[in-house]
Amino acid sequence: MPPPNATLPPSSAKTPRARSRKKKRPKPFLYPQFCKACSRCIAACPKDCIHISDEIDPRTGLTPVWVDLEACNGCGICFEACPEPFGLMPKPDPDFDPGLVPPETYFGPKASTAPTPTAIPDERVALPRMEPMVLKGTHAAAIGALLAGCRHFFGYPITPSTEGAELLADLLPKLDGAFVQAVSEVATVNMMYGCGGAGLRTMTFTSSPGFSLMLEGISYMIGAEVPGVFVNVMRGGPGLGNIAPEQADIKLVCRGLGHGNTHAIVLAPSSPQEMLDLTMLAFDLTFQYRNPVVVAGDGYLGQITGKVTLPDEMVRPGLPAWAVYGDEMHRGNLICSIDLSEQDLERHNAHLNDKYRRMTANEQRADHYRTDDADWIVVAANTPSRMAKGAVRALREAGIKVGLFRPVTLWPFPVDALLPLVERARGIVVVEAGSGQLEDELRLALSHRTDRVPRIEHIQHFGGVLPQQHEIVEHILALEEQPHGS
Amino acid sequence: MEVDSVFYHRFERHDHAKGLKAHATHYCAGCGHGLAHKYLAEAVDELGIQDRTVAISPVGCAVFLYYYLDVGNSQAAHGRAPAVAIGHKMANPESIVVSYQGDGDLASIGLAEIIQAAQMGLPLSIIFINNAIYAMTGGQMAPTTLMGQRTTTSPQGRYRLMGEPLKMAEMMAGLDGPIYVERVGLFNNQQRFRAKKAITKALQLQVENKGFSFVEVLAECPTHLKMTPLEAEQWVEEEMVPIYPLGVKKDLDPEPWFDLGPPTFAPDALLDVIGSSDEVVPRFADGFPDHLDLHDVALKFAGAGGDGAQTIAKLTCTAAINEGFDGTYIPSYGPESRGGTSYADVHVARDEVLSPSAPAPHVLVAFNAPSLEKFGPTVAKGGLIVYDETVIADPPDLDPSIRCLGVPFTQLAMDLGEAMVKNVVALGAFQAATKLLPAESFRTAMDQALHGDADLLRTNEDAFARGQQAAQDLLTAATP
Repeated sequence: MPPPNATLPPSSAKTPRARSRKKKRPKPFLYPQFCKACSRCIAACPKDCIHISDEIDPRTGLTPVWVDLEACNGCGICFEACPEPFGLMPKPDPDFDPGLVPPETYFGPKASTAPTPTAIPDERVALPRMEPMVLKGTHAAAIGALLAGCRHFFGYPITPSTEGAELLADLLPKLDGAFVQAVSEVATVNMMYGCGGAGLRTMTFTSSPGFSLMLEGISYMIGAEVPGVFVNVMRGGPGLGNIAPEQADIKLVCRGLGHGNTHAIVLAPSSPQEMLDLTMLAFDLTFQYRNPVVVAGDGYLGQITGKVTLPDEMVRPGLPAWAVYGDEMHRGNLICSIDLSEQDLERHNAHLNDKYRRMTANEQRADHYRTDDADWIVVAANTPSRMAKGAVRALREAGIKVGLFRPVTLWPFPVDALLPLVERARGIVVVEAGSGQLEDELRLALSHRTDRVPRIEHIQHFGGVLPQQHEIVEHILALEEQPHGS
Repeated sequence: MEVDSVFYHRFERHDHAKGLKAHATHYCAGCGHGLAHKYLAEAVDELGIQDRTVAISPVGCAVFLYYYLDVGNSQAAHGRAPAVAIGHKMANPESIVVSYQGDGDLASIGLAEIIQAAQMGLPLSIIFINNAIYAMTGGQMAPTTLMGQRTTTSPQGRYRLMGEPLKMAEMMAGLDGPIYVERVGLFNNQQRFRAKKAITKALQLQVENKGFSFVEVLAECPTHLKMTPLEAEQWVEEEMVPIYPLGVKKDLDPEPWFDLGPPTFAPDALLDVIGSSDEVVPRFADGFPDHLDLHDVALKFAGAGGDGAQTIAKLTCTAAINEGFDGTYIPSYGPESRGGTSYADVHVARDEVLSPSAPAPHVLVAFNAPSLEKFGPTVAKGGLIVYDETVIADPPDLDPSIRCLGVPFTQLAMDLGEAMVKNVVALGAFQAATKLLPAESFRTAMDQALHGDADLLRTNEDAFARGQQAAQDLLTAATP
């Protein structure tokens, strides 16, 4: 006989409840190797016609049940008492002889009848030329998300990031989108996991203590390859700290995204314009790599208002082939980060490592200001880079050869562009609103690439205090006065 | 034929379907999960929703639900399945989302998530397996473990210090969000029949878009009860049911309600809601205010929360950007929203603002004495201070190069009958005293901010003019 399931229409074509009515009390049938001998059916059978066998099945080491079909009246109660999907089941055909048909034939060769999904590509839609806007940094990032096609926001209020969420709470319903204020940051990131797993563009705004709470979920997102954008407006820490600007989470975003082998592209804006531009970029990257992306600003960037020019196009998002959207096309998909087999999990990590390598090779971004002939390279990101730029301008006016190297990606650290500058410079001065987390990233990136780590100086403030232009100027003037080679 | 069900024909995800694993679950003999899976699969099949269903696998023994059910599958972190379910449901309101969770997952680590999902009342179906134990991790105490029950973390039996058994169905029924809550068992034919019916109903209510359903299933864990499956059935019936009474706890029949999207991606609609405009804002300035600084003018506006310092700081920034300069504005508040300290730093730069803070401003506008005390001494040499003479009687002694202009912001505003507009009085005085930008620039920025509210604009223009006039008078009087 042909494989029984080959003649059946796909289950989606079935009329609800139709099948159970037309059944004519078939008697039970069991492949003994799929019986775990739990005996629930024995207690369930009103006719006492199910018994434990006295022979051990060599395939399972168990004694399966057997059914006295003579006594059975086909009531079917035992089917509902058997916990195994392929345990006791109705016998399909009186002439069916299970002894001649191996289970593979009987149950069909395919794991699923779900169709093979195809991706619906994103569309870029041209925008008319608009006048510049005057926007707060968080608002600029929120508008960047809307332009990038994000219509699903999940978040929990935390200063100094909240205004971004507040704006989206107002705007998203007007665009038939969804704004959900979650019960916590823990819930937030898992809502993003669901929505991103459904293949949609989703984001949150948070700040350092909230970001800490999201790390578990970010690890799951990376493991399950779920996209999502996290705008972390970093503030002073540790603990509750304060609400002033600090680059306090560079360690977390570059090295500490939850448990396991995790990395994510980290974009570091330095102006409201970049809060918009880099948030838009973050959505492209998060889908390109199926990996979360962090936009790490500092408290000043959340709160600063400035001039923002809108881009010349926006995104109408498609739907990726891998999405668990809840429709026929995507029925066969799975979003998951568990892999019990060591070999499988090693393979998965190798796949992730390959992604990290591609990110490292292709996504390093940096901005240079007068670095070509610089003796001293100031390295600074976010708001401190603005003070550093002012310092470079002032020092250049005084004839001192200094330049600013501003990492726009904190991970991957843009070491490729930095290396040639370091070759000729007398040293590096890292300016940061933090206690060396940016410097650590720089040192690590350099140490992977060169044995000649240059002289590295630093200017640091923390707790919400920002390095000021005059400090940088004075520091470099003092360096200039030292003899070469010291 | 029965095998053409919502279960996969082969469990490829179960250790690559090696040997018997292709068609056998990973559950122990007699485990309640297998039955609950079966009733869920049958309900999905009967309702014809296989293609729309997304099943959320929890952490616990049912973590591998996705091995078996041929639907969209998403595997969640411990306790977070309801949050993941919310994400899926908001992403596609047409999808039928089932969150399948055990008692450690739902009733311990995931309490906050389940309560939020319940209170949102979204059409979701929750299947909650209560077997009174943490099974996957090896038999530790669950929030649902019975008093006196021995587990590996209550080796002498659960006692008072370990907390009382948590009755989730009753808790859920006590919330306003859920529409259907029932507790069922699996220990005899009648209860199994009810369990299947309850699970089907929980899905049906979601298909009808009516609301949030919660089915608690008292399930057997023979392994960790150290019993045979049939002894475990008996234990559930005799020991668990008295603590966790079976039955319908809540059953409402509301109108279908959940209506979301599809989202709009029309460019016009988007540009409109974000307040973007292609209307060219007129310019009034002849050039950069070189008389204040060649490149970058730093300003500070300081007062108490509610004084309106932030509003005029932003207006100044907007006006500067309208004129084609770069501008930044950055606020600083105390932790309280109103009533605390409040100051704002503004920069107006010819090309690009670098540091957005103003530790040594060219101009300070002060609304009260503490602000003047604090920031007066930071004003750059040759700078200017405009302060509210109504509330500041004696300005502090400052560097003689700094001009101090006392304008009665509050009094002039009260003369207008609108104490609230004292900040705009201050802005007028600031404009007249600094000539940072022409008055028309500020009026245009005010008009933009007020979105064309003519009455408000008139009041604000009056206030601006009074401040301007007062400062002008002082300057004229001071001119020899």
